[in-house]
Amino acid sequence: MKPVNTQPKRSDEPIWWALFSAGGVCFAVFLPGLMLLLGVLWPLGFLELSPLNYASLQQLAAFGYGIPALALVGACICLPLFHAAHRIHHGMHDLKLNTGLAGKLLCYGLAALLSATALALLWCVLKQPLV
Amino acid sequence: MEKTLSIVRYNPELDSQPHSQSYQVPVDNSTSVLDALLYIQEQLDPTLAFRWSCRMAICGSCSVMVNGIPKLGCKTFLRDYGDEVLLEPLAHFATEKDLVPDINVFLQHLQQVKPYLINPEQSEQPHKQSPQQLAKYRKFANCINCGLCYSACPQFGLNPEFLGPAALTLAQRYNLDSRDQGKAERMPELNGKNGVWGCTFVGFCSDVCPKHLDPAAAVNQGKVASATDFVISMFKP
Repeated sequence: MKPVNTQPKRSDEPIWWALFSAGGVCFAVFLPGLMLLLGVLWPLGFLELSPLNYASLQQLAAFGYGIPALALVGACICLPLFHAAHRIHHGMHDLKLNTGLAGKLLCYGLAALLSATALALLWCVLKQPLV
Repeated sequence: MEKTLSIVRYNPELDSQPHSQSYQVPVDNSTSVLDALLYIQEQLDPTLAFRWSCRMAICGSCSVMVNGIPKLGCKTFLRDYGDEVLLEPLAHFATEKDLVPDINVFLQHLQQVKPYLINPEQSEQPHKQSPQQLAKYRKFANCINCGLCYSACPQFGLNPEFLGPAALTLAQRYNLDSRDQGKAERMPELNGKNGVWGCTFVGFCSDVCPKHLDPAAAVNQGKVASATDFVISMFKP
């Protein structure tokens, strides 16, 4: 039997696990409400708002909802992306795909890239002149 | 009534690979898997090797795979199974002979987490503990070291250096004990990739635990402790 290393290197997993946990919680807490609002209530006209389209969403984001909108994108897109990346990363290990550092960079790198894209797109919408 | 027990036999000194052998065993409503194994050894085939001791689910010796699920032989009754039952040695361990697994790696992992009270105070007085303090760790304190959770854990199957459910549960049990001051000594093992972070929360360990310890919950508490330790370490010089 191999000799035991009693002082193993500290794993960086707490970072990814924290993002994974936060993503899972946000996904479970915010997504159902968001789907109900944007997917059911608003399109069916139950809310006293203008019809659901780009212009009305842009107005909503522009008038007082800028920072909350960025936070919502963070909670509903960015963190769940890291949640998914974490699952895929560990799923590859379970399938005995020994991808090492490359697999890790691909999973979390993709999550980071897509998160940045989502936030940047929303930022662009906020900065655009109103339609 | 009779049932057929198909047992995976392996003698490393004679066999090139394991093979299965069938035995007809008389069964009534109270016949456990261990009873059937003892019947085979006493009446049919004295060469069959398996571990056992207490017959009452407290020693943790008679662990076997019953139809592919890790079970204590003494706590598993043949009345709950069909006419043919497959018995194999514990998964994820090497086999010494027949149903006897080599559990040295498990015992080593237990030692690695220092599963005993560490308290430098050499007080003559007894360590007092309130019922609330006891309740914190008691649910993790009944491990009988049967190893079923290691056979259930796919991560231990993939990586035998992973400390595994029972060892991580014991670490958490002592870390939660108000009389213990050894958490700082245990955390380095838990913080490594083979510590709590080797777990992906499959949870099968908790399903198979014959003492209902919920090792998966203990390991997840260990992850919170390790993540906290990670953050604290960032602010230390």
